[in-house]
This record gives sequence, C-alpha cells and structure tokens, in this order.
Amino acid sequence: MDTTRRRERTEIQAHVSFEAWLKSALFLSYVRRFVLLWIAGKIANAATAGFVGVPPFSFRAGTELVILVFELGALVAFIKRDNEDILLGNLGLRLAAALAPLVAVHVTLSAALALLAR
Amino acid sequence: MKTPILVGDSVTLSLGGRTILDSAYADAVPGAITALVGRSGCGKTTFFKVLVGERMPDCGQVRWRGMRLPRPRLSDLARDGLFYHPDRAWLARHLSFNDHIALCPHEDWTSVVDVFGIGGWVGQQVGRLSEGELRLTELAFGFAMRPAVAVLDEPFRGLEPLHREQVGRGLRELADRGAAILYADHDVESVRRTADRLFSMENGMTRMVEGFKTRPLHEWYHAWPR
Repeated sequence: MDTTRRRERTEIQAHVSFEAWLKSALFLSYVRRFVLLWIAGKIANAATAGFVGVPPFSFRAGTELVILVFELGALVAFIKRDNEDILLGNLGLRLAAALAPLVAVHVTLSAALALLAR
Repeated sequence: MKTPILVGDSVTLSLGGRTILDSAYADAVPGAITALVGRSGCGKTTFFKVLVGERMPDCGQVRWRGMRLPRPRLSDLARDGLFYHPDRAWLARHLSFNDHIALCPHEDWTSVVDVFGIGGWVGQQVGRLSEGELRLTELAFGFAMRPAVAVLDEPFRGLEPLHREQVGRGLRELADRGAAILYADHDVESVRRTADRLFSMENGMTRMVEGFKTRPLHEWYHAWPR
C-alpha cells in the first residue's frame, strides 16, 4: 500500500471505525429492522416453496440471494426515506459498506433455520 | 485570501427543460463564513446538492482541496473533513444525540453542547424534538465532528432568535478554528451579521458581492441586470 493509500486508510479509521459502527445503536437498529424483513421474506419464501412442493425452509443459494436483495432494497428504501443516508455519509460511511455485515446476518439466520427444520 | 477548499465552478444544471443552475460559482475559504443568499427557489439547495454529490451537473466542476472531483461522494468528502447539513431532517429519529455522538471519535464534543444549548435533550430521541431543537441538535452533532468544511443549507431556518444567536456563535467558533463554512440563507440581515463573504444567487446564476455589510441593500440584493 503506498503512502497516500495508507494515509487515506488511517483517516477512514479515525472517522468511524468498523468496530464502533458494528457496536453502534444505529447499526443495531438496522439489524432489528433487517431481521423483521428476513422474517417477512422467509414467510413469503415458505409459502411459495410449499406451492411448488419443495421444503419450505431449506437453504437454496439462488433463492436466498433473491430474498437478500429484496431485504436490502427495502432497508435502503427506509434509510433513504428518513434521510439517514445523509447521516451515514456525514459519518464517512458508504451505504453499501455500512450494510455489508447484514449479508452475514441473513446467511447465518437462514442456515440456522434450515438446520433446525431438517 | 486563502485558497478555497471547496469550489463549485461554472455549475450548470437543467431539470425538466428548466435551467436551475446557470454557470454558478461559489467557494468555501478556510477561516471564513461564506454565505450564499438568494430567494427561495433560486437554486441554492440544488447547488449544494451538486457540491456534495447528491446531484450531477450537466457541466461545470466541483474542486476539493484543489483537485477536480468527477463524481463527488459525501462519504468520501466527509472522511476528508466535510460536514453537510441539508435542508431536511437527517438524524436518526429513533436515536438520541448521545447515541449519535457515540459514533464520533472525538472526545471534546461537550463544548458544542454548551455552544448550542442542547444539554436539556441530549438523551432524548431526536424524533420527539421540536423543529428548532432538532435543527440545533443536527448542527451540534455536525460541529462535534470538527469539520474542516461545513456546507449548511439554511441552518437558521425554523429557529427562534435565541437559537439563531447560538447557531451564529457556533459558526463563528468553527470558522475561528480554521474551518471553511459555506451556508445558504435568504435572510439578508442575518447574513450581514454572520457572514464574512457573500455570493448572491438569482435564477441559478451567482456573483460575489463586496461591501455587503455596509452598502445599501437595494444596491446588491435583487439588483441583477435584466
């Protein structure tokens, strides 16, 4: 990493660290909203799975990806409606980077549910 | 005169066939409060949106610390010291000032609570505050981040006289610490009291106004050649 990139990285970390972001009340509020969206997505997915005759809570990568896109899209719409994208911007956080950890939340919840439903 | 940190140069933007900005220019200089004054709907908010990357201009450029930014992005600019206060509420309504400030790495933020007089509601959800209290809280949060440049769209709007005074004091303190402040307003008397430099905007065009603190209003405000 050249000097400029290193300095840039230091400045980013000096603004809002990734750790501080994950522990923040704002991120936790996004996790709560995201889990509600995940539940809604799972209910819709289970209903359509039952209709086509596949196990309702099994982990299918393609389906999970589609649901994840809808969940993140809905969350981004809520965030933009409340102008919180400006807040994230002022904190030096890109929307995509700020919400990236939610991908892990989705995968973990869906995989856990698939295991429990076996 | 110091070199401007943030410059919007020859910014032109049309929306729906209507020209909103017409070769507009304004800049923010370290240690000075620069005002952009003009009637409602003259293009001030759109100009600020272009500066922070919320809108792309048809032509013209945004320069940041001397470098042209082809696609400005608020998060990138904020990491390099910019604070943007739009004309609409932007803090998370379900959180308090304290919850927001927990994200801010600087420790010396208590002074902004005093300057803006928001001590009475720092633990309260911002969604429950009055419009004036909310505006003060937003500005206090932004100033707590110790920005090098503040772009503020109508920071005095909806404030009672005491709160206007507190915001004016906050702006001055920030400028005295070397920050470059660019703010929009349409109250020319307030601008005379607060600003060090002035750009006047009409129909999307700007011009710099000299001597605005002493010259009669009719000589420079709404006195554009037709």
